Amino acid sequence: MTAEKILEFKQVALAFGETEVLKNIDLTLDSGQFYTLLGPSGSGKSTILKLISGQLQPSGGEVVFDGKVINDQPAEKRRVNTVFQNYSLFPNMNVYDNVAFGPRLKKMSETVIEEKVKEMLSLVKLSGYENREINELSGGQQQRVAIARALANDPELLLLDEPLSALDYKLRKVLQTELRTIQRRLGITFVFVTHDQEEALAMSDWIFVMNDGVIQQQGTPEDIYDEPVNHFVADFIGESNIVPGIMKDDYLVHFVGKDFESVDAGMRPNEAVEVVLRPEDLDLTTPEEGKLSVTIKNQSFRGDYYEIMAQDDDLNLWQVQVTNPAEIGARVGLTFDPEDIHIMRYNESEEDFDARLEAYEDDETPTDPSDSADKVPEVFDHE
Amino acid sequence: MNKTKKRFTEAYLGIYGLWLIAFVVAPLLLLVIQSVSVPGQGFSLSNYKEFFTSGPYLAMTVNSVWYAFLITMVTLVIAYPLALCLTKLKHRQFWLLLVILPTWINLLLKTYAFIGLLGKGGLLNSGLEHLGFGPTQLLFTNGAFLLVAAYIELPFMVLPIYNALLDIDPLLPAASRDLGASAGQTLKKVIWPLSLPGVKTGVQTVFIPSLSLFMITRLIGGNKVITLGTAIEEHFLVTQNWSFGSTIGVVLIIAMGLTMALTGEKKKKKKGGRR
Amino acid sequence: MKIIERTWLTFAFFLLYAPILFLVVYSFNSGEAMQGFDGFSFVHYQELWQDTRLLQIVLNTLILALASSLIATVVGTIGALAIFRTQRKLLKETLLGLNNVLLVSPDVIIGAAFLILMTALGLKLGFVTVLLAHVAFSIPIVVLMVLPKLQEMNRDLVLAAQDLGATPTEVLTKVTLPVISPGILAGFFMALTYSLDDFAVTFFVTGNGFSTLAVEVYSRARQGVSLEINALSTIMLFVAFIMVLFYYGYSQKQKGKKTKLKEKVK
Repeated sequence: MTAEKILEFKQVALAFGETEVLKNIDLTLDSGQFYTLLGPSGSGKSTILKLISGQLQPSGGEVVFDGKVINDQPAEKRRVNTVFQNYSLFPNMNVYDNVAFGPRLKKMSETVIEEKVKEMLSLVKLSGYENREINELSGGQQQRVAIARALANDPELLLLDEPLSALDYKLRKVLQTELRTIQRRLGITFVFVTHDQEEALAMSDWIFVMNDGVIQQQGTPEDIYDEPVNHFVADFIGESNIVPGIMKDDYLVHFVGKDFESVDAGMRPNEAVEVVLRPEDLDLTTPEEGKLSVTIKNQSFRGDYYEIMAQDDDLNLWQVQVTNPAEIGARVGLTFDPEDIHIMRYNESEEDFDARLEAYEDDETPTDPSDSADKVPEVFDHE
Repeated sequence: MNKTKKRFTEAYLGIYGLWLIAFVVAPLLLLVIQSVSVPGQGFSLSNYKEFFTSGPYLAMTVNSVWYAFLITMVTLVIAYPLALCLTKLKHRQFWLLLVILPTWINLLLKTYAFIGLLGKGGLLNSGLEHLGFGPTQLLFTNGAFLLVAAYIELPFMVLPIYNALLDIDPLLPAASRDLGASAGQTLKKVIWPLSLPGVKTGVQTVFIPSLSLFMITRLIGGNKVITLGTAIEEHFLVTQNWSFGSTIGVVLIIAMGLTMALTGEKKKKKKGGRR
Repeated sequence: MKIIERTWLTFAFFLLYAPILFLVVYSFNSGEAMQGFDGFSFVHYQELWQDTRLLQIVLNTLILALASSLIATVVGTIGALAIFRTQRKLLKETLLGLNNVLLVSPDVIIGAAFLILMTALGLKLGFVTVLLAHVAFSIPIVVLMVLPKLQEMNRDLVLAAQDLGATPTEVLTKVTLPVISPGILAGFFMALTYSLDDFAVTFFVTGNGFSTLAVEVYSRARQGVSLEINALSTIMLFVAFIMVLFYYGYSQKQKGKKTKLKEKVK
């Protein structure tokens, strides 16, 4: 809670001719946190990174770093370093020279540099690789060198542009954990860009979900997963069943022809809404006990669960994740709890959403309001 | 199917191999034979003996290499920044074509232009006169030879460097800047080393022809700069001493081969080590 | 930074074009030499038009360049395929080495060696000998342009074509050649450039009956040249410039808008 502001975007916009890449972005980064910019390609997430690093200049608004506007400050003058997607290691230098690149520019003595390089290489578990050439290294090793090279410059802010996307699944998992450990150990602010929602949820203290050059939602991984603010976020983060519905009254929602009890409130009576049900919150039961009757259409084994596609009588398809297999063609019941139903209003902005949540949670439920309203993230541990 | 493919390959090899034998191996072999068959003596190494013991020929060799080196350096100094600027231009393809365009005007025509520019009543001299200098002999000087030769070779130096620069991943300079290097430091530590293959190609494509610019020596250099190329032309087409001309040719080839082998070997070793 | 770049570009392009523009300007001089400027006139263009000998030489030069580049492109492409397909390392290296010999040989040596060869073969020096020599120094360039395209080519393409039932001939004409065609085209244009630009080799192997523009200018330059050469240079430059514009317009159209946007974002 005592974290200090390190970087701020004030109404930052970027356009190339007619194409608006970023539309009036506001964001604040505190020191010592692990941030993730999450979004599909072309959503503007890498552009934000380039504006922070100085590879691009905004066409409107202000980028504020440590209290100073740095819109036109060149990249080399910023205490920000980047880990690039394709590693971008200098092929004409070996591992040592790559890591020593930044410190050498600062005219440090060679003994200090050597210590620094050793320290950084041990941090990324590549001790002893000093004299290797870059193209002798595997992709994972190259990415470790790239991380060491960026960190050797003592940045206040480390930017990571989809650094793990070129690696295979297992290696990605390992490096995710390592990155998180390194970030904790050094206490540097990380800004991580990815299109992989799983990666974002697993690593971050705080996530910005981007689409179409706009921040759609920001919050802790739990916030974003449990309370998606709109269709895009619900669809992009995790798997979702999204159906249209009507909010008949507070705590009463109507969809697929039936009324259901819910835990949401604060909307106009009979307001049209979207209803989100996560596949893992749905369970199969007997047709009599189910809230909905469905027919199993399709089933596939996913290792730790079965993914089932079921169709109700109105021909809506429901995605269900269960641990026990079902029989294709069988008639079964679908059941879920009121708190599993998440309601989204059309065109509700993130601020409105937070305000509404705060309002009715203050009234009705005794939960801690700071959970979703306060922007300071809590450390979210996954290990 | 594989059989047909094999037959194709054999046909390619046959055609190309025949060509190589008839028009690469044969002429060079004949050159070597010619160099050791001295008129009136039959087989003899006397030409080689004469070449390596005669002061003028050795001096000429040094002179040739020195001038070729100078021409290469002058073109490189002009071409590298030019190539670098070209890669940053918006319509760089178009500008590059404009750099190549002069190569479609025959080099003799360009040489001819310089005769007009540098001559006694030429543009440069009248310009100098306006500035208060008397008419100076610009034509038939070593400087004029250097200028014209460098002018003719310039596009051939720009092209490979430009391509090498474009091949550099644009994220590498960005990474260098990101790590705190200024534009100048990035040029020195990242861009220049990575463009070296292009520079090497450029140096080769300029250095080699620079050894045989006898027409420029004659028309612009006023026969003052005598290179091995001039000597070969003289022996073949003026004094008709093909035998000695061939000897100079063979020496030149061996010298070139040695330099190539030396630079080539280094490259291979590095590559092999990296793998 | 921008100012330095601009200055250097201006300087370099001035250097590249000053001599050529000088030629162009004097082609309109009513006087007889590249000194002073007596007045504007087309008189040298008329002279050129009546100089059938010179026009014949220009035609020779163009025919020679086109013919030698065409032959060199065909043989060079075959050569690149041969080198690419050869499995034995020693043979491959030998082929590549021999290919590069003419590339790294100074023109005078190529000229001298071919002069000896042609005389040994008993050929009369003239168009045929010059053509053979031009083809000879053009082939290595074509090989060098085509070979990288073959190496870059996705090998699965050929396998896929075979898998779909294409015969080797069809693989060659429908897959390999179209894929490497940019290299072939580049090779052809490079060969054309080298042929048009050559003087030394031609000078060695040509005889009385046949002359190219370069050789003609060389022999005339020693006696003092008439400004009709300037007129000719101007026309050639004009044609070349039109070709550049045409080519550039065509390549821009091919690129389309998508890449343009991409470049901007970069």
